[in-house]
Amino acid sequence: MPEPSAPLAPLRPVVPSRLPLAWADLSLTGKGLVVIALPLVILIGSLLALYFAFDAEARAEDEVRRAFAIQRDMYQVHALLAEAGSGVREYVLSGETRALAPLREAQVLLPETLARLDTSIRDQGVRQAFSEFLSLSDKKLAGLETLSELAGSNVEPDARMEAVRESLASNRFVLDELRLQIDEIQRLEQQVLDRRRSDVASDRAGFLWMTGISAVVGLLGSLAGILLFSNGIVRRVQLLEANAEKLERGEVLDPLPDEADEIGQLARKLNSASALLRAREKDLRDGEERFRLVVEGVRDYGIFALTPAGLVATWNAGAERIKGWAADEILGAHFGRFYPDETRGFLPEAMLARARRDGRAEDEGWRVRKDGTKFWANVVITALFDEGGALRGYAKVTRDMTDRKRSEEALMAAQREAIAASRAKSEFLSRTSHELRTPMSAILGFAQILELDQSDFDSRHKLAIGQILKAGHHLLSLITDLLDISSIEAGGDDVELGMLILAEVLEEARALAQPAVAPSGADLAVELPAGEIKILGDRRRVIQVVLNLLTNAAKYGATGGRILLSARLLDNRIQIEVSDDGPGVSEEDVPRLFTPFDRLGSQSSKAIEGTGLGLALSKRLVQSMNGEIGFRNRDAPERGAIFWFTLPVCKSPPDGLDTPSIGPQPITESTQ
Amino acid sequence: MNVVNIETLLTRRILVIDDEDANLLLLQTILEREGYDNLRFLSDPLLAVETLIEFDPHLILLDLMMPGLDGYQLLDAFRRQTLPHQYRPVLVLTADTTIEARRKALAVGAKDFLSKPFDVIEIGLRIANLLETQVLYEQLTRPAN
Repeated sequence: MPEPSAPLAPLRPVVPSRLPLAWADLSLTGKGLVVIALPLVILIGSLLALYFAFDAEARAEDEVRRAFAIQRDMYQVHALLAEAGSGVREYVLSGETRALAPLREAQVLLPETLARLDTSIRDQGVRQAFSEFLSLSDKKLAGLETLSELAGSNVEPDARMEAVRESLASNRFVLDELRLQIDEIQRLEQQVLDRRRSDVASDRAGFLWMTGISAVVGLLGSLAGILLFSNGIVRRVQLLEANAEKLERGEVLDPLPDEADEIGQLARKLNSASALLRAREKDLRDGEERFRLVVEGVRDYGIFALTPAGLVATWNAGAERIKGWAADEILGAHFGRFYPDETRGFLPEAMLARARRDGRAEDEGWRVRKDGTKFWANVVITALFDEGGALRGYAKVTRDMTDRKRSEEALMAAQREAIAASRAKSEFLSRTSHELRTPMSAILGFAQILELDQSDFDSRHKLAIGQILKAGHHLLSLITDLLDISSIEAGGDDVELGMLILAEVLEEARALAQPAVAPSGADLAVELPAGEIKILGDRRRVIQVVLNLLTNAAKYGATGGRILLSARLLDNRIQIEVSDDGPGVSEEDVPRLFTPFDRLGSQSSKAIEGTGLGLALSKRLVQSMNGEIGFRNRDAPERGAIFWFTLPVCKSPPDGLDTPSIGPQPITESTQ
Repeated sequence: MNVVNIETLLTRRILVIDDEDANLLLLQTILEREGYDNLRFLSDPLLAVETLIEFDPHLILLDLMMPGLDGYQLLDAFRRQTLPHQYRPVLVLTADTTIEARRKALAVGAKDFLSKPFDVIEIGLRIANLLETQVLYEQLTRPAN
């Protein structure tokens, strides 16, 4: 089967180059988190950078404030010592103790201020200068204290003056050094401050740069996320969609990278579904192909499909063989062309209508081949409906029954001929009967008149008249029996089966046989089973058979013997028997008993009259009533023959057979 | 003892139809032997209806199987030639012994039926019986005579 004819070489969509496996195999939730988290992380990073920038600035301001505090405290130390110095000098000059108040104040405030400075100064270089400053301030304070003590002592004024002078001189230089030290510390602090300021400025610039970079990176990260998302998901989903469409059209799917995420799984499932579908499709196609090959290969039946409009849609070898058209000649043509002119106008549509109504329509009749010859076809049209009940078309199976039709026709012709022959035979028998009986009528009639007028003749003529009558009657019974047999064999004489009461029929036969039995002096007895037995038979024929058997018994039985007419029930049959006490029949003669003209008696010394047709006729009569006839010798030590025949027992009167019109005949045979 | 005068019986008109001369002769012999003297014999069945009208028999002896004419049609023709209150029995004589032939003949209008060959004495008795019935019927239907 060719591939769908659509784009023969569809452009393979560019399969995204294999992404790093970890990313590709990441579940969709993970990918989503990554795509959302990436810009967020970048945003948080830039916020942190901003925070650090502001923090650095705040710390720089603190440094400045501290530097100013150090400066103030150092000036305060200087001021306290300077005021204490001038107070001490005044005390020395005036001796007024009131002038020592600034010294006392310095003694209290200096330790606090110096402790504060000690905590504030952190820079190692500054601290060195500060320790210098500390020792200087201690020295000054100690000098001042010493001076104040000298001034207050009771020593000699000159010595005291000298000591004061000396102390003053040394103290004055200490304060100057202190001043220099303060300047040094201030310079150092300023350097530290400047360094800090420049650090903060560079930090801030760095953080601002970082923020800028973050913004750019965030933007790029978002783009990267979108790209990743697009590549990893959207593109693949699009490919998947394309594959789903292909699946729908039954085309081959494009390969998708084998990834572990949901889309990859979906793609795999889609692939396996596609594979499954294609396998099934192939199976189906194989099945269809097989089925098509089978149907196409059938040669005995024409099997083809019709569209709802009755146009030929498929064609098989059988149809071609039977009808003569090749597939390409007939496809698309209306199937009405298979019908001969006489039926084409109505039968095709009628067949389709019947198939639509009943599901199928069968017909037998003449159809035409391509070459115009006719054939006798058996046609079955089956309507095909889809699940929704809409008509899809018809399946038509045609069989060529011409041979069967011809043999049927031959059979019918043979049957007609047979019936005609049978009729002709009946006619012949009837004519023969007439032709034979008519002269017999004259012969016997005149002979009887002569016999009636026998007083006119002498004994010689009387004997001759008697012989004419005897031979004539014999000839007549021969003719009658012969025609009876022929008539039965020709089937011309219809059997009139009816319900008969056994006892009545046998009694009638017995009464009719009485005149024939009487001369032999035999005793005729009848023994029947108790109860009324109904049998199925032709009254006239049953009586004829019984009469025949009784007459035979009288002829061949012992003179003055005993003849028994009896009947017994055997399942659903009745067996009627006529037995005598004569010599019976020798075993070798038994098979010939029912053969026409085989008069066993003629070989015996006893001259017995008879046509030799009685048993043969009886056999045919019994058989015509669905019975059997037979013979057996009586068991030793008894002697005698037993002739028997069977007839069906009538359980319930069969329909139409118990009507009075088929009762006993109103007229009795008058010639016998 | 007969109810009907024997003279009346023997003067009845009897028409015998049979294509076989031998049979006609036989029947003539039988009838004359019995004493009947008003007889007509016909061997050509085509003249049957004509003869019937002309001779106006009291009894008809008819052979059913004759060439050129269906005996049953003849029976039917006789019935149509018979007046509504007229009793004119037909005794059918035929060599056809089948039960169908008897039924058909009786159904078409035959009063009695005998198969050929027949017993001479029996036919004599049947003829006498039919004529006796005919005479009695005639006496019953004839007004004031």
